[in-house]
Amino acid sequence: MGKAGGLITNDIRLLRLRHAQMTQQELADRVGVTRQTVNAIESNKYSPSLEVAFRIARVFALPLEQVFHYSED
Amino acid sequence: MDLSFQEKSLWLLFVSLVGAFGFYFGTALPGDAIDVMPHQVALFVLAVVMLVITQIAGHAVIAILDRRTDTDERDRLIALKGTRNAAYVLATGVFTALCAALVTDGNFIFMHVLLGSWVLAQLTEIGSQLVLYRRGA
Repeated sequence: MGKAGGLITNDIRLLRLRHAQMTQQELADRVGVTRQTVNAIESNKYSPSLEVAFRIARVFALPLEQVFHYSED
Repeated sequence: MDLSFQEKSLWLLFVSLVGAFGFYFGTALPGDAIDVMPHQVALFVLAVVMLVITQIAGHAVIAILDRRTDTDERDRLIALKGTRNAAYVLATGVFTALCAALVTDGNFIFMHVLLGSWVLAQLTEIGSQLVLYRRGA
């Protein structure tokens, strides 16, 4: 969930499935966070730091804006 | 319910705090003493020993069951929010204890308001963190 009314969403769940059915735990290990954090990010309950967002995007070899999306309302 | 190591640890701390200080306050209060008596100090020491033993034994069991004890930025954020909420409760409690010290004789009420505030602040910190873990952050 974003601040000041904005909403940050992501396609991590879809990208995991496209990357050899990668599990949340596998992604968490590669990014350096806990599985619960990956789950919270996927559910749009937690907006990660810029550093973690970049590391997630790097795992999928995609630019940040193809993994995370921001809308004003 | 899928609980992380941190959540299990927090639940253990919450339950052991309620148990240990529930026992203490249930036994020491209501008291008509003006000052804290030696047997109440002994009760307090017993409550702290109970808390420490429960923590050591409980964490050993949790660590065996759940080997993933690492933390990340979300854990640190949740801990900070919990500490912030606890600080409000503790500050209010300290102020209340000071007011109690001004209007009552002896140290019994002052000490117990202060101790009660600390316990309440700890429970607020842990409770806030448990809620935040369930809500995401």
